[in-house]
Amino acid sequence: MVEHAYLIPLLPFLVSLVILFFFDEDAHSPYAPYLGIATMFWCLVQSLVIFHQASSGAVHPWPYEGSWEWFSFAADSAGKGFSAAMPIGILIDGAAAVMLVVVTLVSLLVQVYSLGYMHGDPRFKRYYAYLSFFTASMLGLVVSNNLLVTFACWELVGVSSYLLIGFWFEKPAPAYASKKAFMTTKLGDCGLYVALLLIWAKFGSFKISMLAVSAATPGVLTPLAATAIGLGILCGAAGKSAQWPLFIWLPDAMEGPTPVSALIHAATMVAAGIYLVAKTYFIYAASPVAMEAVAWIGLITALLAATMALVAYDIKRVLAFSTVSQLGFMLCALGCGGYTAGLFHLTTHAFFKALLFLGAGSVIHSVHTNDMRQMGGLSKKMPVTFGTMFVATLAIAGIWPFAGYFSKDMILERVYGHNQVMFGLLTFAALLTAFYMFRMIFLTFVGDDRDHERHHHAHESPWVMLWPLCLLAFLSVVSGAALAHNGFFEHLVNYKLPEGLMTETLAPRLMPYAVTALVCGSIALSWFFYGRNDFTLAESLKARCSPIFSVLENRYGFDAIFLSLVAFSDRIAKFAFWFDSSVIDQFFVDGWGLITRICAELSGLFDNLFVDRTVDGFGGLSMDAGVLLRSLVTHGQVQEYLMYIAVAVSLFTILILSR
Amino acid sequence: MTLAHYLTLSGLLFLIGIFGALTRRNIIGILMSIELVFNAANINLAAFNHFRHPGGVAGQAVALFFITIAAAEVVVGLALVLAIYRNTDTVYVEEFSLLKG
Repeated sequence: MVEHAYLIPLLPFLVSLVILFFFDEDAHSPYAPYLGIATMFWCLVQSLVIFHQASSGAVHPWPYEGSWEWFSFAADSAGKGFSAAMPIGILIDGAAAVMLVVVTLVSLLVQVYSLGYMHGDPRFKRYYAYLSFFTASMLGLVVSNNLLVTFACWELVGVSSYLLIGFWFEKPAPAYASKKAFMTTKLGDCGLYVALLLIWAKFGSFKISMLAVSAATPGVLTPLAATAIGLGILCGAAGKSAQWPLFIWLPDAMEGPTPVSALIHAATMVAAGIYLVAKTYFIYAASPVAMEAVAWIGLITALLAATMALVAYDIKRVLAFSTVSQLGFMLCALGCGGYTAGLFHLTTHAFFKALLFLGAGSVIHSVHTNDMRQMGGLSKKMPVTFGTMFVATLAIAGIWPFAGYFSKDMILERVYGHNQVMFGLLTFAALLTAFYMFRMIFLTFVGDDRDHERHHHAHESPWVMLWPLCLLAFLSVVSGAALAHNGFFEHLVNYKLPEGLMTETLAPRLMPYAVTALVCGSIALSWFFYGRNDFTLAESLKARCSPIFSVLENRYGFDAIFLSLVAFSDRIAKFAFWFDSSVIDQFFVDGWGLITRICAELSGLFDNLFVDRTVDGFGGLSMDAGVLLRSLVTHGQVQEYLMYIAVAVSLFTILILSR
Repeated sequence: MTLAHYLTLSGLLFLIGIFGALTRRNIIGILMSIELVFNAANINLAAFNHFRHPGGVAGQAVALFFITIAAAEVVVGLALVLAIYRNTDTVYVEEFSLLKG
């Protein structure tokens, strides 16, 4: 089925259009969700078939590429004209096969879950149309073999995230959040756009397989160009994947419907940045500087986001910060040469983060608040949600045998081989992860109920919301072990690193055990602070370190920095407007107009006074002369005329004769 | 009798004709004076023909044509005089100033 992989993005796209244009808005459209779900199920089946074919090595040649000509145009380079062809097509390698399964699976489960969560929403069908559109854009990004199409899909992902984050646009907060998300990611996209321009200038093609071959050829890609392109792509990825310093949009994006957050965080939006870096990994392979930048950006993000999650009380924001942090892990792994590790974590993370968000959605659906301070003790009321979320938390904390253990272990091992300072910091971020995730579990599900009213009305969600949770919980348990079994994932992804990036330093055999022990200690510390139904310790710590807490709660002031940047650019725009209106318009344009008018007046004056008067003067002169001459001869006497003639003739005669 | 005598005669006739045309008040008189100028020209034609090209007849022939044309012209002139007289009851030219601008 790999030959028809192009249908996987196209079909949901068409379905989203069909839902949007042909279904009733008001009538609660009972069929719209089922159409979307059925399509996504079909896509999932196709993706699983492709995944199976890819893992069993049934596709030749591998990676599979199907390319058609899209358009061609005349180009000109260094004075030589040539015809450049732009292909459109699909490129299915190991990473794409995995991503297809992840995206379609998560999207399918989110859509099923939304049946319950979004029940009764007045824009139900539009919601499903957007979900399909969102998934289609991401799938297009995954399968495309052309960076230009990838970029287009990338922007479509941005548009659909804008539509879905601002889905409840009547409220000011979602409207603001969608705008912020869109604009922040666009800021990153500027870098990506520059990178694309550089790629075209350097390679004259956007076809990824061709770029990979060219980049590997010595002498084609200078390290400087590779660094510039790599940093540009990193800029785009940092916007999309909410990396430092462009992570400010993600916590606000929590204003969207919770299933959308699950989709954004697990499969479609933030994964795009990581996936794009992986897709253009050959560029980074040519530039150690860009590679190192990727690693450090990832590391900084992982640390900052983890610390910010420590103090958040909004259950979705904790998860949002944790996503940012985990994406930092992935980027750090990619930057350290851990192509496999990064993608592996992307895969496992998709499952347990989707689960966490859907679980949080279930909790919010039940207690109608995001604030964890008003929760507590929900485990008795919502056993399935609690159980599945607990599994996901264990997975994200990295406890054996849950999925996160394998992927995080792989990342740490790779980072240890690359740089041991990084390894220490990243391990610290992993410990923080365990701490804040268990803090969330303890605050939400354990202990006494802090808000009796809410607790009393709390109820377990309907099964249409629960069975996606159960399936994801199952995947969160087994996906890590299954994919890591006998190096299956590594074999599937099968990316051959250049010589320089292979690290020989191997992590000590005891490393995973040591990290697990530390994580367990971190969980115990979390229990000590938040799990005993006694918060005096946490409160006193908060009172004692209130400056640190306020810095963390203000997200290190990055929002303020960006807002001041916006205010600054606003001021620049105002100044430019002032300059334009009062200097350019009033001084130059209007002044030039004034000068022209004065010149015209002068010219008119000259024309009237001098030229016209001269002409009039000559006319008047001849008229006067005529009048004068007429007065000499105007008696009307024939004999007088005759005398003039006679005198004149005789004068002429005398004149002629006297010569 | 030489050419000079004839030319003197014609010159005198011409001058008398011009003088008459300029000074006569009667329009008939002016017409008669113009006839004198005509005849001065005719004498010239005949005299030059006789003395410069003896035996030739072109001068005399042209003079004859002129006499004929002068007769026709006098007819037109007298018709005009009659018309003027009928309209204005006068034949004195100083009383016409129709050409006054």
